[in-house]
Amino acid sequence: MSEKRSTHFGYREVDEEAKAGLVANVFHSVAARYDLMNDLMSGGIHRIWKRFTIELSAVRAGQSVLDIAGGTGDLAAKFANIVGPTGRVVLADINESMLNVGRDKLLDTGFQGNVEFVQADAQYLPFPDDSFDCVSIAFGLRNVTDKDLALRSMLRVLKPGGRLLVLEFSKPVNPLLGKAYDGYSFRVLPVMGKLVAGDSDSYQYLAESIRMHPDQETLLGMLEDAGFVNCEYHNLTGGVVALHRGFKA
Amino acid sequence: MAAGLDPTLTTAALAALEAALNGALALDPAGQQQLGRLAGSTFAIECTAPKVNVYLQPAADKTRLLGYYDGPVTTRVRGAAADFAELAGASDPAAALINGNVALQGDSAPLIELQRIIGQLDLDWEAPLVTVLGDVAGHQLAEFLRSSFNAGNAVSGSLRRQLDEFIHEEARLTPPRLEVEDFYTDLQSLQQRVDRLQSRLDRLRKRMQASHT
Repeated sequence: MSEKRSTHFGYREVDEEAKAGLVANVFHSVAARYDLMNDLMSGGIHRIWKRFTIELSAVRAGQSVLDIAGGTGDLAAKFANIVGPTGRVVLADINESMLNVGRDKLLDTGFQGNVEFVQADAQYLPFPDDSFDCVSIAFGLRNVTDKDLALRSMLRVLKPGGRLLVLEFSKPVNPLLGKAYDGYSFRVLPVMGKLVAGDSDSYQYLAESIRMHPDQETLLGMLEDAGFVNCEYHNLTGGVVALHRGFKA
Repeated sequence: MAAGLDPTLTTAALAALEAALNGALALDPAGQQQLGRLAGSTFAIECTAPKVNVYLQPAADKTRLLGYYDGPVTTRVRGAAADFAELAGASDPAAALINGNVALQGDSAPLIELQRIIGQLDLDWEAPLVTVLGDVAGHQLAEFLRSSFNAGNAVSGSLRRQLDEFIHEEARLTPPRLEVEDFYTDLQSLQQRVDRLQSRLDRLRKRMQASHT
């Protein structure tokens, strides 16, 4: 009889097979109020982090971009404006509820023609090899069950010379900021989640999943192990968030 | 890994500046249209003190300000903040570029065109104010702003003229432009006469040597 492998879901150890379902429930629960909660939780700073991500993407008109775990389409909308009518942006998310919110938001604000919507698992991307000039994943990698498998999948769909951008919560570089951040995450966030989204458990999971996510240097090593070259990262807001970048040789 | 200022701060500052710039440009459709002619150009402004890099991409609909850009740059200028301030306020940008401390790399013509467009921006306050405040109040406030700006321009022009006169005529710190030009004309004329005299002397010397032999 084969032994079941386990992984973490926040601070809990769960079967690998169960994690995707548990994460899916979290995002089904918060999808409707995801944008509002992002603004409230970060004080709007997530827009600045995403703007910096767009700058480092160096995406140009006519290029193709895959935004994994694209959720409500913040990055995809900005990419679609840059690549223009001759380019292509694919907004992918494993969660149907999040993808529906993102698709409705983009279509309602006039994005069409150069944007596609695909429900896809980051570990098994349903695209041919060498398809995209840029792949981005913002605040999504920590929810993926097998991160190494997902990174290798992203490398496969990138064109040679293409770049991967991973925007994700990370580890504050200043211990004092770290303590303040801990207090905020575990005391304020669940209460805010309860009041605004009617769901404190999902935001408790958010805080726990951030602490379980690899820190800056570990994630950098994972990118290199997956086969990316010229890897680097930029700490944002004192390391609360880090933007990792790697290229396909 | 990345040293220096937290990118969150620089990105936030540039986002705010970009919003303010585009808000102001929306008040001058003609200026915005002129900026559209520079679409496709990227200007890199590398400030050495304080150390900040800004990339400006003009466009007819939205001008972008970036803190990070690794594509081709049309014109790159490098210098301290004070040098850029001097260049931005110069009445003759081409001369200021050549004589100033700003190092330039790439095509200078689009940069001079950009400086000219920015210098000629004429913001129309009336349209947005009327939309928000209504016809009467909006028009009154726009008139007030227009007259304030015109008065401000007139005062600054008058101050410049008076300062100019004081430096040249009263304090005699530097000679007036016309006097300098006259001096150079006289000097050039004297130089030509000396050259002609030298030629005549050379001719006479040759003729004397020929008659002796």
